[in-house]
Amino acid sequence: MSLPRTGIIAATQTQLRPAWDSAQHIDLISAVVTDVFKGTGLTLDDVDFIIDSGSDVLDGRSISNCGFLGALGAHHKEEARVEEDGLWAALYGVNKIRSGSASVGLIVAYSKPSESENIDLYWSSMVEPFYQRPVGFGQKAALGIQAQRYLDAHGIGDADLADLVAKRWAAAAQNDRVAIDAGPDAAAVLASGEAAAPLTDLMVSRPVDGAVAILLGTEDIASRLGRSPVIISGMGTSMETHAFSARTAGGLDSVANAAKMAGDRAGWAAAEADVVEISGSSVVGELLALEALGLADAGKGMDAAMSDKVNRSGGALPADPIMATGLVRLGEAYRQLTQAGSGSPSRAIVHGTGGVAMQTNCVFALEV
Amino acid sequence: MGHEVGIVGVGQTHHARRRTDVSQAGLVREAVDRALADAKLSMDDIDTVVIATGPVLFAAVNQPEKWVVDAIGAQGKSVVRLTSGGGAGFAGALAGYYQVAGGYSDRTLVVAYDKLSEGQLQYSISTLYDPFWGREFAVGIMGFSAAYWRARMDVLGHTEEAAAMVAAKNRTNAIANPYAHVKKEVSVEDVLNSRPLCWPIKLLDVPPISDGAAAIVLSNEKKAHHSTSTPAWIRGIAYCCEADNAPERSLMLSEPLAIASKKVYRSAGITNPRRQFDVVEVQEPYSCFELNYYESLGLCPPGQAADLVASGATQLDGDIPVNPSGGCMGANPIGAVGVIRLIEAATQIMGRNESHQIKDAKTALVQSGGGWANLRGCAVLSA
Amino acid sequence: MFAPPEAHPLDMETFHSQISMPYTLTPGRAAGTFLAEMPNRRIVGSRFPDGTVVAPAQDFSSTDGEEPEELVQVPETGELTAFTRVDGNVIGLIRLDGCANDFAHRILADLGDLSVGMRVAAKWDDTDETSIMAISGFVPDADAPVGEVKGLVGPAEPLGVIDYSMSLDYQHSYGPYYGRMFDEIREHGRVMGVRTSSGDDALLPPREVDDVTHKRTGTWKACADTGTIRACSIINMEFFGLTREVPYVYAEVVLDGASTRMIHVIEIDDLETAKKNIKPGTRVRAIWTDGERKGRVSDIERFEVIED
Repeated sequence: MSLPRTGIIAATQTQLRPAWDSAQHIDLISAVVTDVFKGTGLTLDDVDFIIDSGSDVLDGRSISNCGFLGALGAHHKEEARVEEDGLWAALYGVNKIRSGSASVGLIVAYSKPSESENIDLYWSSMVEPFYQRPVGFGQKAALGIQAQRYLDAHGIGDADLADLVAKRWAAAAQNDRVAIDAGPDAAAVLASGEAAAPLTDLMVSRPVDGAVAILLGTEDIASRLGRSPVIISGMGTSMETHAFSARTAGGLDSVANAAKMAGDRAGWAAAEADVVEISGSSVVGELLALEALGLADAGKGMDAAMSDKVNRSGGALPADPIMATGLVRLGEAYRQLTQAGSGSPSRAIVHGTGGVAMQTNCVFALEV
Repeated sequence: MGHEVGIVGVGQTHHARRRTDVSQAGLVREAVDRALADAKLSMDDIDTVVIATGPVLFAAVNQPEKWVVDAIGAQGKSVVRLTSGGGAGFAGALAGYYQVAGGYSDRTLVVAYDKLSEGQLQYSISTLYDPFWGREFAVGIMGFSAAYWRARMDVLGHTEEAAAMVAAKNRTNAIANPYAHVKKEVSVEDVLNSRPLCWPIKLLDVPPISDGAAAIVLSNEKKAHHSTSTPAWIRGIAYCCEADNAPERSLMLSEPLAIASKKVYRSAGITNPRRQFDVVEVQEPYSCFELNYYESLGLCPPGQAADLVASGATQLDGDIPVNPSGGCMGANPIGAVGVIRLIEAATQIMGRNESHQIKDAKTALVQSGGGWANLRGCAVLSA
Repeated sequence: MFAPPEAHPLDMETFHSQISMPYTLTPGRAAGTFLAEMPNRRIVGSRFPDGTVVAPAQDFSSTDGEEPEELVQVPETGELTAFTRVDGNVIGLIRLDGCANDFAHRILADLGDLSVGMRVAAKWDDTDETSIMAISGFVPDADAPVGEVKGLVGPAEPLGVIDYSMSLDYQHSYGPYYGRMFDEIREHGRVMGVRTSSGDDALLPPREVDDVTHKRTGTWKACADTGTIRACSIINMEFFGLTREVPYVYAEVVLDGASTRMIHVIEIDDLETAKKNIKPGTRVRAIWTDGERKGRVSDIERFEVIED
């Protein structure tokens, strides 16, 4: 059976800031929902459904989507909340369009981690409460151990990691979509506080506030915009065991699984992409993701990371709007595929992640 | 159009007020084992998994699917969690439906649960309210639900007596349900005389607080026959919303449910719901809601729900039995309820319902919802 | 890229909100037994049908969900396989002797003194707590003998529940619209909303975009402090988190000049009289606090029925 292909009609985001203290969640959400239609010829009336991503724990409310329905533009429409990064909300939206039941869908993800007095609780409440929570095993500890093993196994030093972090911040500072005055240099990365040895604070992704909206539609509708549409030709996701210690040391199997699913559908492998936008929870997480995607051999992720096609946006290290980071990457990849004069890329790989030490991962393959 | 989607295996726990022998994750495992066995499958045969629960604050585990995944042996698979308050299970089933219909998977396992004994139910629902605007005066969901009923009471005639008839009917039906844990015959008078909690809601209008899980296996048309010769095909399914504090919000008919049912009936070819449905399963978090659903689903015109229940039409032996399983009154593990209602309806279609099989049931209607009664959905199942 | 409004709401910074609740969590058989055995200074693991042993005990295999055959007692010695330091605490993974997995716990040593492969032993805390913290952590112990997995003789009854609490604190931003509204409440004791995108009635709380039309809302207006009950119920039950004495009325009031609800309370003497006198359509008046207004909805203490 041949199901309709799905394309990206438009993408937008607010600026990503350490704290959007002048705006509420609904201000950020309604801003992107208003903006995403500009230049598309479509309006909210054309939207069949809305899928959104956000976190009750970050928002400080239960069923937080319920209070934001108006801002989401969802009144009297079909709406669903995926409590995972927005890339999974997009996966839902693509399935819905491919099923033939809808033509246009709006995907929204947002977060304001700055409102949580202690953001670590978002992570510590995610691990089971009997064994891991009491000893303080959570996101930072898992990322630290992941990094310690990686550096030991491959003889890489923390100075190499710092160079990559500085490169990512510099890339993000090139555009106004991330609020950065001046990116840190490698020395500043090394000098920042200890997050989880050997990782310094700046080697872990920086939580920021922001919202992102992506408009999806059937290929037919996406094509009416007058240029070759960006088609989502493959998707995959995979979740690993909750027990960090039982996961493959030195690899992210779920990224490889997700990439295989996406690659099988798309008919090409991640290594063939011209644009790669990935979400690393730490600088080592980013290297592991690149290796699992097949862009580099084990321990050689740094070579791929330094390539111009990877995280041209800066990726998640300088700006991680938890719950929205992967969807921001989808928007960034869409922008790079449609921008004139950037070497005419035709294929992109987008990656999103969730959970402690990247327990779950999602990969999209895009093409024009 | 997309793939056909059928329910080919079902399983639920024996729900209880408090299960101290299993963790949240272990509870989920029980339902999954039963659904897989019912579908004659193992986890290896499942392409993707959808997990659904109510709010995180119910049980203090953020993104609990990341813990639950180990208990169900789904490591490495596509696993995602949906949440939508009371309608979480239904929202999860809908996401699973689209995974199969959209060709992302051939078979999807949907499992939904809540272990409500672990937390503070009403207080955690009070956090649904805007912290700036209303939370100071919130009374869980019961204060709101009672107020919503009170608004309809005089205008639509949804009297205390009519709601008591719903409560008595469902509580009596639950006695035969092997998965229910509240099994006590009550009369309309018993309900009317029970203690007011949030008047007009009284003790016996309120379902129990439960620990429970429920799972279904969804399959496309290619693979369904491996599991059963009688899948319950999903002929239409939708879940709609309205802004909770919209100026035009009607407290009378549920507009999102009316919109969802219109859409679902169109795709399922339903033109006369009262006549075409053999059985109906609804999620009635309080008895009064069932009256609202009768009208919003078009089982009777607005203002006639009290007459419909009084006529006996929705009793087991009526022409349109509603909640032969006993609905939420027998067990109410909130996040799981949407899937439980789908299971009860699916087994009616498959001819093997364990509570009260409605003779020759061919077409069933399922309703579910959550939030401030502003998230509402329904589905039509048939052989 | 659209930028939300930049205006700061006068001098209102953030709104503190706390969500704090007690829980009773069920660990299940394996973890329940493990925790129950902590005061006995025994570490419980699970043995799976293929012979592998994992600790701490699990009801389901982390690799494939298989259920264990039996619970066993595992040694309290092992090897350090990985480590890090977070907030000054050293956290490590320990492979206990005879086990196939790593146990995450604290390492009671300086980071600089650690190396992968080092022998370690559990250090028990002087407590009878049924918590994994009955082990304060693991200490390097080069001479620790290699222990063996043993049968769990006379296992304790698994704990059915453990007490738990979770407390989350937030500093919510007002944004320009809520900021203006609460500033008006505090400074002038009046409730102001913004007009809907197409009508004269005010939206409360105010916002930039209309929930129904998703168009820009209109100009500000003051609402009266009288209004009409749209929906109400009489609260007569007590539960965790309720802060006032029952019975009282929970009311959704539409203030004159507004189109959306304000959630508030009406004090009553008794349930039966309230059933008759307070209903949808009943006219009510806001009673403001006599004390200092703080810029919250609770600066209105309650509503009262307006007698004819």
